Amino acid sequence: MNAGHSRLALVILAGAVLLSALAPWLATHDPRHAVPADQLAPPSREYLFGTDLLGRDVFSRTLYGGRRTLGVALLTVLITLLPGLVIGLVAGYGGRWLDTTLMMVMDALLAFPNLILALALIAVLGNGVMQVALAVGVAGIPAYARVTRAAVLEARALPFVEAARALGARPAAILWRHIVPTVAPPLLAFAGVTLSWAVLNGAALMFLGFGGDISAPDWGIMLADARASFRTAPWTALAPGVALSATVFAINLLAGALAEHPANR
Amino acid sequence: MLTRAPLRRVPVSAGVLGVLLLVLCLAVAGVVVIALRGDQNEADNGNRIVYGLTLNPSGFDPHIHISNELGIPFFSVYDTLVYRHPQTMDFVPGLAERWEMSPDGLNWTFTLKRGVKFHDGTPFNAQAVAANLDRITNPELGSGKARALLGPYTNYTISDDYTITLHFSEPYAPLLDGLSQVYLGMASPKALQEHSKNTYQWHQVGTGPYMLQEVVPGDHIILRRNPDYAWGPVFYAEATAQSVDTVEFRFYEDPATRSLALESGEVQVIGELLPTDAELLLGNTQLRILRVPIAGLPQQFFFNLKRAPTDDVAVRKALLHATNRTAIVDAVFQGQSPVAYGPLTSVTSYYDPAVETLYPFDPAFAQSLLQGAGWSDADEDGIWDKDGEPLRLTVVFASWNQTPEVAQLIQSQWRDIGIEVELVRVPDFPTLLRDYAQRGDFNLIAFYDFGVDASLLNRFYMSGASSNWSGFSDPELDGWLQEAMRQVDAETRAGLYMSVQQRIMEQAVVLPIREYVNLVGSTARLDGLIFSAQGWWPLLRNLQMVR
Repeated sequence: MNAGHSRLALVILAGAVLLSALAPWLATHDPRHAVPADQLAPPSREYLFGTDLLGRDVFSRTLYGGRRTLGVALLTVLITLLPGLVIGLVAGYGGRWLDTTLMMVMDALLAFPNLILALALIAVLGNGVMQVALAVGVAGIPAYARVTRAAVLEARALPFVEAARALGARPAAILWRHIVPTVAPPLLAFAGVTLSWAVLNGAALMFLGFGGDISAPDWGIMLADARASFRTAPWTALAPGVALSATVFAINLLAGALAEHPANR
Repeated sequence: MLTRAPLRRVPVSAGVLGVLLLVLCLAVAGVVVIALRGDQNEADNGNRIVYGLTLNPSGFDPHIHISNELGIPFFSVYDTLVYRHPQTMDFVPGLAERWEMSPDGLNWTFTLKRGVKFHDGTPFNAQAVAANLDRITNPELGSGKARALLGPYTNYTISDDYTITLHFSEPYAPLLDGLSQVYLGMASPKALQEHSKNTYQWHQVGTGPYMLQEVVPGDHIILRRNPDYAWGPVFYAEATAQSVDTVEFRFYEDPATRSLALESGEVQVIGELLPTDAELLLGNTQLRILRVPIAGLPQQFFFNLKRAPTDDVAVRKALLHATNRTAIVDAVFQGQSPVAYGPLTSVTSYYDPAVETLYPFDPAFAQSLLQGAGWSDADEDGIWDKDGEPLRLTVVFASWNQTPEVAQLIQSQWRDIGIEVELVRVPDFPTLLRDYAQRGDFNLIAFYDFGVDASLLNRFYMSGASSNWSGFSDPELDGWLQEAMRQVDAETRAGLYMSVQQRIMEQAVVLPIREYVNLVGSTARLDGLIFSAQGWWPLLRNLQMVR
């Protein structure tokens, strides 16, 4: 890992976010408008990334798809982070029976692979964008809580924290003033990992058709649609596939760089 | 440093060990592969094919279950009393040598073939037919289709070992059509007794040209040729050295995998190829692509007549005019299926071509129809509205048959003229039925069924009928449908069904999209692949391996 890698990752990620955010201005076509007569057209000046089976512009759909895919991922991370942090802090600092109980529940949930847990949740919640974000988000909580707790346990044993306790500082003050700043860098790095899971698992659920609106531009949905036409028109899968993997790759690189940052040593 | 030196050697020896392990694994794998291949070659001594099924039905008992897919294997396990000739569509003798209807149409007498034996050795006779009728009409069996195909059947009388008369409470024209379907296949009374109604489906015994050898639920079904078979209908070929001895059925539920399985030689026959894939395979001389038209209802959407805004006939007509069916069929089905215009497909008996000109694609006319019905765009958001309600429709469908793609094109076409469409894709058939169809929670719902006889319409269009999800009710139409069931005369029936089809389209109860065509791929080494009159079921008896 070096600075060049993280710079590359930053450029890719910033590019993905910018292109998605500016989709309404950059898109050349309505992402939902089908022109059956132009179906499966190869990339051209009219259709930069070609068209799909229904004659929709793959370029515009990829841009708008980024909005949906990345938006869902961000929402997912929020859903994971807040409860995960709280549970981890409480368990790690509260200790004793609180720690045992909370971690027992988290361990039980961790027994399921992340995506399986999300699938189980979606079966209960039903289909839709919000449901996908909620399912993937909640499925990520146990891992995040576990990592938070481990970091807190480590921080709690640090000399200056023990000193603060010996001086009679209130637990809340110790937690806020001493522990949170100490555990922030590794947790930030793990948030990056969580984000890349969120993008991938969210896209996986969309791919499997749990996203509700089936004509919505979305990388996962585009990949699912492309399976039917991939053999004759590989470009239908190429754009969303490249966008998805490049984004996840960049996020992972950045998370790795964060984890290796001096503050985390 | 002293302590690290031995540590450094560990990875080396681990590496050597790893390589050795890898070699060992490969060797074992190689031996296993060769052993398995030997196994397969042995089985290949006979003529053996793998037939790809496209979905795994919830059950395989034709007396109970309704899936068309079950007939692909089991049409050849059973014989039916009569058959429809696949080319002429006429009725020809099956297990019944001849039959006669009484002048009042209430009694049908069947004279059965002699010397027919079930696969378990049980002789076939009038008592066997009786046992099957008893089973199918027993309400405890919960027959989904077989019982309905018998119509107003009441009871039977056996005159001698090879003569049985079926009695009806009123004349029933579609009887022979029903009897020619796999759902009324004749099962061995002994086997029916030996197994419970739930387990019989894994131990089916008929008189057909193939015997059920092995079933592994969810994985495969194996049929073996019946060496004693000598009582087939006229269109069954004689067995030769090239006849297929063993047919293994496997499941390929993901459409994208089907063409790959065919090209790789994993299967020798597979149905329902993706239209784009079928197009691609046309150039492959090792393969053949068949387009098998299926009689019955087209791929279509029923309108909900009980829910706004599709309760207004003007809106329904506008929607029909706003749909560019040709564009849909060309794009989604690569033009490999005919466009559908009415409630029946053109290969179905009593089809009326007059429906074809009723609703040409004309978005401008569609808009004028909406205007005439009091719709406008008062809030100028590009969507029609009436009394403050936007023109918004819910379209419900399941994933199969490219219906999601069809629905998305419809959504795009209707949005072009200012109609908003919400698409609801459901995961499976029970959900479609339970959560949407039966609750009436839809404006349009994708639903269809297959069959050669036009009386298929009864279930969908008669007032209060079991699958009348539209909520359509027209006493005159009910009368026609009922009369067409009672009339045996083909011309009279044709006239009645003509009126029925026109009325259904005048009232715009249904949005037909395309006539169903099964895109079947097979290896060119296989000759004689033809399908029963119903379209779905292959005549395994006629398959020949070409060397």
